[in-house]
Amino acid sequence: MPSPLVRTKLFIPSVRPEMVSRPRLLDRPRASEIPRLTLVSAPPGFGKTSLLASWVEASRAAGRAVAWVSLEETEQQPESFWTYVVTALDDAAPGVGASALTLLQGAHPSIETVLTLVLNELITRPEGLDLVLDDYHCADGPAIAADVSFLLWHMPPQVHLVIGTRADPALPLGRLRARGELVEVRAADLRFTLAETASYLNEAVGLDLEAGDIAALEGRTEGWIAALQLAALSLRGRDDGAAFIAGFAGDDRYVVDYLVEEVIGRQPDDIRRFLLETSILERLSGPLCDAVTCRDDGRLVMEQLDRSNLFVVPLDDTRQWYRYHHLFADVLRAHLLHEHPGQVADLHRRAAQWYAGHDELVPAVRHAVAGGDVELAADVIERSAIGLLRDREEATVRRWVDDLPYDVVRRRPVLAVGFIGALMSSGQLEGVDERLDDLERVLADPPADTVVLEPSVLARLPGTMETYRAALALARGKPDDTVAHADRAVALAAPGDDLTVAAASALSGLASWGSGDLMAAHRGYSAAVEGLRRAGNYSDVLGCSITLADLQITLGRLDDAVSIYEGALRLAAEHEVGGPMRGTADMVLGLGQIAFERGDLEAAAAHLRRVEGLGEQCGLPQHPYRWRVARAHLLEAEGDLAGAVALLEEANRVYVGDFSPDVRPVPAQRARMLVRQGRLAEARGWGREAPLSADDELHYVREYQHVTLARILLRQQAAQGSAQELQTACGLLERLRVAAQEGGRTGTLIEILALQALAYLARHGRHDVPGALALLGQALRLAEPQGYVRVFVGEGLPMATLLEALVREDPSWAYARRLLEATRPVSKPVPARDQGLVDPLSGRELDVLRLLATDLDGPAIARELVVSLNTVRTHTKSIYAKLGVNSRRAAVTRAAELQLLTRAS
Amino acid sequence: MNTAPPSRAAESDESGCYEIRLHGRLDPRWSTSFEAMSLTTGEGFTLLRGPVVDQAALHGLLHRLRDIGVPLISVTRIAPDDATRPPHHHDTPTGA
Repeated sequence: MPSPLVRTKLFIPSVRPEMVSRPRLLDRPRASEIPRLTLVSAPPGFGKTSLLASWVEASRAAGRAVAWVSLEETEQQPESFWTYVVTALDDAAPGVGASALTLLQGAHPSIETVLTLVLNELITRPEGLDLVLDDYHCADGPAIAADVSFLLWHMPPQVHLVIGTRADPALPLGRLRARGELVEVRAADLRFTLAETASYLNEAVGLDLEAGDIAALEGRTEGWIAALQLAALSLRGRDDGAAFIAGFAGDDRYVVDYLVEEVIGRQPDDIRRFLLETSILERLSGPLCDAVTCRDDGRLVMEQLDRSNLFVVPLDDTRQWYRYHHLFADVLRAHLLHEHPGQVADLHRRAAQWYAGHDELVPAVRHAVAGGDVELAADVIERSAIGLLRDREEATVRRWVDDLPYDVVRRRPVLAVGFIGALMSSGQLEGVDERLDDLERVLADPPADTVVLEPSVLARLPGTMETYRAALALARGKPDDTVAHADRAVALAAPGDDLTVAAASALSGLASWGSGDLMAAHRGYSAAVEGLRRAGNYSDVLGCSITLADLQITLGRLDDAVSIYEGALRLAAEHEVGGPMRGTADMVLGLGQIAFERGDLEAAAAHLRRVEGLGEQCGLPQHPYRWRVARAHLLEAEGDLAGAVALLEEANRVYVGDFSPDVRPVPAQRARMLVRQGRLAEARGWGREAPLSADDELHYVREYQHVTLARILLRQQAAQGSAQELQTACGLLERLRVAAQEGGRTGTLIEILALQALAYLARHGRHDVPGALALLGQALRLAEPQGYVRVFVGEGLPMATLLEALVREDPSWAYARRLLEATRPVSKPVPARDQGLVDPLSGRELDVLRLLATDLDGPAIARELVVSLNTVRTHTKSIYAKLGVNSRRAAVTRAAELQLLTRAS
Repeated sequence: MNTAPPSRAAESDESGCYEIRLHGRLDPRWSTSFEAMSLTTGEGFTLLRGPVVDQAALHGLLHRLRDIGVPLISVTRIAPDDATRPPHHHDTPTGA
């Protein structure tokens, strides 16, 4: 995430009243005829921003929304660039950027995913919107261009992109031109014509010049607007106008040099000095100018410059902040460097001090570095780096690593650790070992010139450094080393350094999780949550709670998972400031998932509604995909399989990883859903792509995928009756069962046992129901204390058949009866009065009808329902008669018309 | 600026001396802004000559020239000796 937004970059400039009216440029075609991209490309001083501001004013008058970003060089970083663009879009069209901004706050967001979210929102808004990117040359580069192209090609027609730039952007301009999707305004179009020059000088500025003088000025400036403005400034209040023009026209010096010298030469000395001294600033405010010039009239001078139109551009509505026109500032800086070279460093230093005092770290460091004061820069960074890293602003700190010489950094252990943290969180691990080793040497024998601004922080370094070593080991795939370093970090942590304890414990938990030792993972994460709670880092407590609950669910402890989510919600409520804490939505979502697992679909739906009410801003970066996954499962339970698959595909598009192993990949969840829909070929395609095989060595991280593969094989056997696939599935399931049991993963074990019962039934048929029931009984005994429902009910008809047999065998088993009851809604007949048929279908006929809608053949349907093929034929004949059709396809069509295929309510 | 990693900036095939010709006579005071380059002017044109560390530095220099709005006429790679020698016979050095 980039540093805090500079709101002035999103300010839409107003149109200057003295601008000359230029109908040939202002009369744009009607909005419906404007192509995707408008490009205003010309050197500085050609009035690009003014033209854009005029367009935007007209656009807004016509009811279109406008998002404006004035780019600067910091926006070469994609995360910063898109944060500004999406924020501007969200300001213009509230709600459009909410999900995307949530994603952008995470570590290493996928920009295409961010843009997909924004585009999805834009498509639903019929109102017109113009996105203006001014000074695009500041940000342009391969990292930005690819995603801007993506945006450009996928924008809905009501959205237009307008780019102002000094250099043609690295976008596919040729292709856009060929398709008529590009309007270009270039230097030749922007130059003032003779008529415009006359209208500007005589009407707008009111100079009353002769035609010959106007022609001379137009010729000398070649219609360059900035030069004409400078000339106008030079001419104002001058008696010898004609002589000045003659002198200017007869000179071959660079136009801007000549004119700026004229303009500043005519200013009183104190103003001239003010202009030169403040030219080092990228933004100007009264107090900042005072600090730099050591005067007290900054605000007055700024207002005066603004009034006399002396090349200052206001950056906000209240006229607090200004900047010089770029061209003017460049010339002023050249004057400053030439006339007072010895002062430049001092000016920068004073600006740095002012910014540091106002907690604006980025410009403070920039000016300190520009002033050659690396110690001041190092001071500012040392004070702020650790806090910035905690706020996940590693990109900001990362940029500074290259600004300071290493010998300055190594004398400052606290700063050195901050830089190591920044490098690591930006994924740059190369050289980190060497830095840590070097730092250890420094700490063991500190040189005399060692600097530590806050001595109390020094005690925390050994624990922090060891935590970094643990993180390095984890990134290099060495779980044992990770745990060893993490244990040492906890031991080395300074008293009260709860965050280091939390970070090290979480790393240890993560390493154990990845290697399948869930008990150890649980211990690690519990310690992490405890440490974060003590440190008062509540939002991160919520983040870790998801992991902890996921672990509990896999271990088969739903009650404990509920307690974790409820505890986290209580904590969030106790510490919320002005609205629900970020992560609240994820906790409620987790409760919804457990309610779903326990078969309480109404409670699950109510939780999801609450999540929706809380909004994306209450969700962690993973929220957008987790939410879609939860919705998909609910849709599936409600019988909308196609909707569920579509939602999972969307979830996959907005998927954002975190540090945790992806133990339930969305594509695998989608494959399971495809299996239930009978789309076996596609499900198999997933297995090939994964790639997975029944002979793979088993590993916990891929357990969910292997169980998915077993499901595909089982379903294939049901569809085609192939004994070999059944055997493969049985072998795989048995290996999975042993692994899950050994790892204590009771949650997974229940599912595997349920599948084994179904596989047994498929293998031995109705002749050995007791064998299948023995396996199912085992699953139920494990599941009963925690109230699992969905894991059984989700298996559909064959499971209902088995549960029926189980209840017959042991009618007193209330849990089994409850499960059987829960399977009923699926096969409950649509009430006769709702069927719209003279002779309504029976419950069994509806079961057969639903299977007719899949691609299963007759024998497969018989296996699915555990009946003979003859029985299926009898039912089918009866269904055709009642529906008045004579083919399977017609039956399915008629059933869809009568809405008999969706679940009865 | 960071001295920790070894610098590979001085790759021989990238560095070299360049002459940049600009339209219009730039004021001599600009020479302070283009540190290593010598600035000389002739009738209606300006020449910047001097060593450039690598391609990135050359592009950076061209960007700076773009940003002050001065029209570019040509960029030529020249022999190192030419960079220190005064430009063509009819040019009038006015550099600081």
